[in-house]
Amino acid sequence: MKTEPVLSRNFDVADAWKIATAESRGAYVTAKKVLTSLQPDEVTNQVLAANLRGLGGAGFPTGKKWQFLPKDGKKPVYLVVNADEGEPGTCKDRLILERDPHQMIEGMILAAFAIRSRKAYIYIRGEYVLSFRRTQAAVDEAYAKGYLGKNIFGSGVDLDIVVHRGAGAYICGEETALLNSLEGGRGYPRLKPPFPAIVGLFGCPTIVNNVETLACVPHILKNGPEWFAKLGSAGNGGTHLFSLSGHVNKPGVYELPMGTPLREIIELHGGGVKGGRKLKAVIPGGISAKILTADEIDVNMDYDSLRNAGTMLGSAGVMVMDDSVCMVKMLFYATKFFSHESCGQCSPCREGTGWAHKIVTRIYEGRGNLKDLDTLLTIARNMEGRTICVFADAAAWPIQSYITKFRKEFEDYIG
Amino acid sequence: MSEAVLKSLDPEAQKIVAKYDQKRAATLMLLHLAQDKVGYVTPEVEAWVSKWTDVPVVHVRGVVTFYSMYHLKPAGRHHIRYCTSTSCILQGAEKVLCHLKKKLGIENHETTKDGKFSLEEAECLCNCDAAPMMQVGDDYHVDLTEKKIDQLLDGLK
Repeated sequence: MKTEPVLSRNFDVADAWKIATAESRGAYVTAKKVLTSLQPDEVTNQVLAANLRGLGGAGFPTGKKWQFLPKDGKKPVYLVVNADEGEPGTCKDRLILERDPHQMIEGMILAAFAIRSRKAYIYIRGEYVLSFRRTQAAVDEAYAKGYLGKNIFGSGVDLDIVVHRGAGAYICGEETALLNSLEGGRGYPRLKPPFPAIVGLFGCPTIVNNVETLACVPHILKNGPEWFAKLGSAGNGGTHLFSLSGHVNKPGVYELPMGTPLREIIELHGGGVKGGRKLKAVIPGGISAKILTADEIDVNMDYDSLRNAGTMLGSAGVMVMDDSVCMVKMLFYATKFFSHESCGQCSPCREGTGWAHKIVTRIYEGRGNLKDLDTLLTIARNMEGRTICVFADAAAWPIQSYITKFRKEFEDYIG
Repeated sequence: MSEAVLKSLDPEAQKIVAKYDQKRAATLMLLHLAQDKVGYVTPEVEAWVSKWTDVPVVHVRGVVTFYSMYHLKPAGRHHIRYCTSTSCILQGAEKVLCHLKKKLGIENHETTKDGKFSLEEAECLCNCDAAPMMQVGDDYHVDLTEKKIDQLLDGLK
């Protein structure tokens, strides 16, 4: 299905990260209109009605998250942008930050207005140097125009934005780890509750939203929540930036409606499996998502459909594997990732990811035995639901799904 | 030696700290700033960050060792982060990495004798649609081949 690009409409426009170009393409018109004509709660209601869900991976309804903020207004409220993209297989937020940061900044102005925040932080992963420079330049230009700072658009609303850099730690994409990192500490996730909406940055109520989620907000306010909801599937509003990588003819980032069939993404948009080979498996939503076999790809790419299929949409990082791929090797690299990135705070995760990687390494190097497979499944089971954050669960899922769905291949490999 | 460099960074540090609601939140940005200029995180850098953020040096050390981007010893003039996550592996990252290591004569976490290059096998840098890829200094290089590695590294001073 051909759809008009929404989030990616400026990606191929030269210099769209500069405010002059962005404004010639309509940037900030909606923010100005909304801040001078609507009430904050009307913005939240429209975002709710649009069925916008958090596009960082969790898929939680964005408007509902905003409504968790305390109503008493005793403490300042912070808006924090999670630009700590790091899920293997995902390369979408970087495009917004590098090519159209004003889209996100306009979304921040609207979100901050809705949640009554006067201070926002953008947390960009440390390796994204160009993203940092472009976003900082865009923020500076927005200040110079009076779109940030005091009395934005003459509406009486204030907003300051600080652009911040991380320093190389996947776990900081977890929102409470991100807050600890932003406060200048190690990126250790916090126990929830309290959720950040109640106790977040500097102990104050805080909303953490993903880059792409915020980039959707101006379009919702401009074209209406019904329009946005209709772009997607039931309960999953809008379009989504799908990162497509691995063994396809045309890897890339494709903006498609929520609920687009996975087969269509691979065969139509990706041009099919590279070299005419046979499809073996697909990871639909970043490394943490359970793997699908070639027989399981007739599924729609939205949060609910993929959950019903026993996996998840996650960050919508689609990784395609042809029939030449060795699953033992892929599990080796998956466990390497999780053992490297575990923050080490909880024992089941610190020890579990470490031992899982050691055992998979042993198998991969030809020193495994058949009992190792059940040991790995036991380790995975004992990591699930026993830690402060869901990182350990995410580490367990590839182990479980690769071994369960490709058991014979693992057994043959061990020999 | 790093004291003089750090002193020259004081005005910029002051501006950075002023942006944040609490001084300690500037820790990561100050470490980036100092490492860029000094070359790596020396004990003097940690003390300087501690001074600006009002947190104990031991806390700063804890932060430095948590994140992969801070170096406790000098890195090469060109620090290479080579992605070894799933999408890059699917697209032949291992073969290209072998070539890169052989060319430089170093392994993961090592620096060439002339101090020109250091190598770090990194986790996903999120350019999966143009794999294999790596970061040299600040810049991303994508769709890597052995030939592309040769051209790129030979062209660096």
